[in-house]
Amino acid sequence: MKKTGLIILALLVAVCMSGFAGASDTVKIGFHAPLTGFAASDGKSASIGAKLAVEQVNMSGGINGKKIELIIYDDQAKPSQSIPIASKLIGQDKVVIGISGSYSGPTRSAAGIFQESKIPYISAYAIHPDITRSGDYVFRTSFLGAVQGKAGAKLVGEILGKKKVVMITLQNDFGKSLAAGFKEAALNFGIEVAGEYQYSIKDRNFGSIVARVKAHKPEAIYASGYYFTAGPLISQLRASGVTVPVIGQEGYDSQKFIEIAGKAAEGVIITTSLDRDSKNPETASFISEFEEKAGFKADMVAASAHTAVMVAADAIKKAGSTDSVAVRNAIAATKLKVSTGTIRFNKLGEVVKSVQNQVVKDGLWRHHSIIDDAKILTPPEK
Amino acid sequence: MGIYEISLGTIVCINIIFAMSLNMITGFCGQISLGHAAFYGVGAYCAGMLAKAGFPMYAALFAGMIFAGMTGLVVGLSSLRVREDFLAITTMGVNFLFLGIVRQQDFLGGELGVSSIPSHGMGKIGFLVFVMILACLVIAWSHMIKRSWMGFAFDAVADDEDIAQVLGIDVGRYKLVAFAIGTALAGLAGGLYAYFARFIVPDDFGFITSITVLSMVAVGGIGSIAGVVIGTLLLTLMPEMFRFISDYKLLIYGLLLFGVMRFAPEGLAGLIKSFVGFICKKRAAL
Amino acid sequence: MLYLELLLQGLIQGSMYAIIAVGLTLVYGLLRILHVAHAGLFALGGYVGLLIFNETGSLILAMPLAAALVGLVGMAVYRLCYQPILDRPPYVALIASIGLFIAMEELFRLIFGPYGLTYKNPPLQAYVNLFGIHIRAAELCMVGASITLLGVLSYLAQNTRIGVACRATVEDPEMAASFGIDAIKVRYLNFFIGSALAALAGIFVSLLSNLVEPTMGGVPSYKALAIIVLGGLGNVKGTLIASLVIGIVEAFGTIYIGNLLDRDAIAFAFLIIVLMIRPQGLFAEK
Repeated sequence: MKKTGLIILALLVAVCMSGFAGASDTVKIGFHAPLTGFAASDGKSASIGAKLAVEQVNMSGGINGKKIELIIYDDQAKPSQSIPIASKLIGQDKVVIGISGSYSGPTRSAAGIFQESKIPYISAYAIHPDITRSGDYVFRTSFLGAVQGKAGAKLVGEILGKKKVVMITLQNDFGKSLAAGFKEAALNFGIEVAGEYQYSIKDRNFGSIVARVKAHKPEAIYASGYYFTAGPLISQLRASGVTVPVIGQEGYDSQKFIEIAGKAAEGVIITTSLDRDSKNPETASFISEFEEKAGFKADMVAASAHTAVMVAADAIKKAGSTDSVAVRNAIAATKLKVSTGTIRFNKLGEVVKSVQNQVVKDGLWRHHSIIDDAKILTPPEK
Repeated sequence: MGIYEISLGTIVCINIIFAMSLNMITGFCGQISLGHAAFYGVGAYCAGMLAKAGFPMYAALFAGMIFAGMTGLVVGLSSLRVREDFLAITTMGVNFLFLGIVRQQDFLGGELGVSSIPSHGMGKIGFLVFVMILACLVIAWSHMIKRSWMGFAFDAVADDEDIAQVLGIDVGRYKLVAFAIGTALAGLAGGLYAYFARFIVPDDFGFITSITVLSMVAVGGIGSIAGVVIGTLLLTLMPEMFRFISDYKLLIYGLLLFGVMRFAPEGLAGLIKSFVGFICKKRAAL
Repeated sequence: MLYLELLLQGLIQGSMYAIIAVGLTLVYGLLRILHVAHAGLFALGGYVGLLIFNETGSLILAMPLAAALVGLVGMAVYRLCYQPILDRPPYVALIASIGLFIAMEELFRLIFGPYGLTYKNPPLQAYVNLFGIHIRAAELCMVGASITLLGVLSYLAQNTRIGVACRATVEDPEMAASFGIDAIKVRYLNFFIGSALAALAGIFVSLLSNLVEPTMGGVPSYKALAIIVLGGLGNVKGTLIASLVIGIVEAFGTIYIGNLLDRDAIAFAFLIIVLMIRPQGLFAEK
């Protein structure tokens, strides 16, 4: 009885202490991600990635002697939720920087609020082209759909040398902007798009699309999707006897994809931003520490959120204060080596970095090739 | 008042208008609609596009209202053909059809939605006051309708269409009127949402949104104006109240919907009424 | 050749819809409620089946066990959720059911994690080559199972005492009761059979995609409603045909008008057209 009382007392004291420590000298970074609802898996990966970055920064002494405090809210991937969250982060929590670990809709809505209040905001992996057009306080650490689509075209047409391609397009902002980028660059690489078929994010059975694609007899298939749609899609394609290369993108980038598709996943190539075989110490340490912290293998979403927090921490450090103008300028001047490579931002706030191509080999994502062709990677300035 | 409270207040008022609009159709006239978000979306897209084309806010909102009301009238025609559960599923189908069409229209932004909708230019507080006034007007108007001859006719249609017909009420006409008014108000709410968020995507107006607004009406107490306002307040602010246990937020939401329907089928309004009735009885007994 | 393959894919998809929708239509025929949480039981079936299979490695064991377990849960759902609110207006049960479904989805996520589970050594992944068309064993089994199960059910309904009792209760509950049929027993039986079928459908679907996710009930939750309405609500034969029709319409639609409308919109556009021509569904009761 006495023992439990003591433990409770000790816990209470500990809680109070940590509360006090948190109140006085921390630097607050706001973070919103879909922790519940249909997008909860990406929200979980993203928030673990962000937490890992915070731990790493705090372990190595924090920012200018202060520790980072990450304030995480759940937005259910809904714009109507992210608007009050953005307002709360700015108005109540007084964060120095906001980071989105969420999808395009909520991110674009929140970006407007951050821009109005002149608080810097970084989108970790939402790909809507209008997010950075909200204004000069908004940045993005992942590729634009169009950039990645063009990289996909180069991968198919030049690196693999395949010319007759069928596209399977996910019907949302991600799939559509990838498809637009791919089609735009296809001509430059001599690719003929024999057909394009669309599916909804809710589909898991692709029987009719597979049958149609097969009838085209393509040399390669460019299929956009997330691991939970791509996994069933690839295994169904292979089961129906389609053996040509399948090219995907960062949406596939999760160990779960390989788990779902099984042997069918072998040989699938994707354009992404996380290189599993990287010699870069930032990337290598991220991959191993993430797996240790999370209990499952790192994915693109986690790496992007990790990158966004690292960029934020670096900018606050360089700015030497939490003044929002100074921090914004520091982000704009970023030149940083992080888990997703060496990154900087262009005038619009879009990231400039190389595309990492990964291939599935023996049940693991491995290095395939790199695209660092400036013509393809340069995002729009406006 | 910080910007957080202002943004919450604005959402609550928009949702009140939205829920009131559904209450007109489902609560007053008894026609279950599972696709009300479609009209919300029609209003939002119409207002958003017109705003981007340079029209002033009042014109854009008004046009959104009219356009949504006209779409609603067309859908209302189906209520003359199909009844009850068939109508519920038909309206649900209208919602999916609306989404399917909007997704593929490049001039509506397709999957990327409509962004950079111009500001309303009245400041955050100004807009909150404006939306609040509109919400009050809608509440007052609902009250008026409920007490008018039309409200009586709606009630008769909701109770039993065949008997209403026998009583000499033109059932079809009143159903259409309810649909037109209800969907026009939904269009107004949608237009306000477009100005508030200044960015809309098709998924904002999906089936889940229809279910959310129906839940607000039903949890509050179908047909009761005060109940609907309370239900809307509760369900809109719930995610904020439970922010500290965010992992269980949706679970609690689901259990609340279930619990209210299971234990208080007449909604919170019914619960309060029976509670008041209980007290009164006790007093009378004394 | 392509048409044949698309037709085949449509039938495969349709037979999946059939196993889910039959349970729903049984419930509707008996109680007049739109049982959305049926899709939650479908997902539960997927989870239970996968967990048993991954433990034991035997699909022969996993299927009946999961079906029986989920069948019992279905009976519990009836007893705890629907029975107390049967005399209320239909939207009460509908919203309670939606609340229950949301809560179930969230429970799956909280217990099994958001990423979804996969089979360790997915069974039935071999395929047969039928005149150049590859069909997977899982697809064949699903079609075979749906034909067998539904065939056996209809035989039982025609030729056994309890089957006749069920049909009589659906036709005319009061008359059936006067003949000494225990309506409560019939309801439990219906919930058991319907839920067990949903569980089997859940297992087949998860075998086809090798994935069980918290949200896997999302599509069936509304698509199955559309199917039973199309089939004439409560009409089992109509539901079967409607399932196949929707499956085929979707299979062809996603290929030939997929750039105009998405899969859901195609299905619902078809539904709305049919309902405008035949307001009581394809196979009206009366």
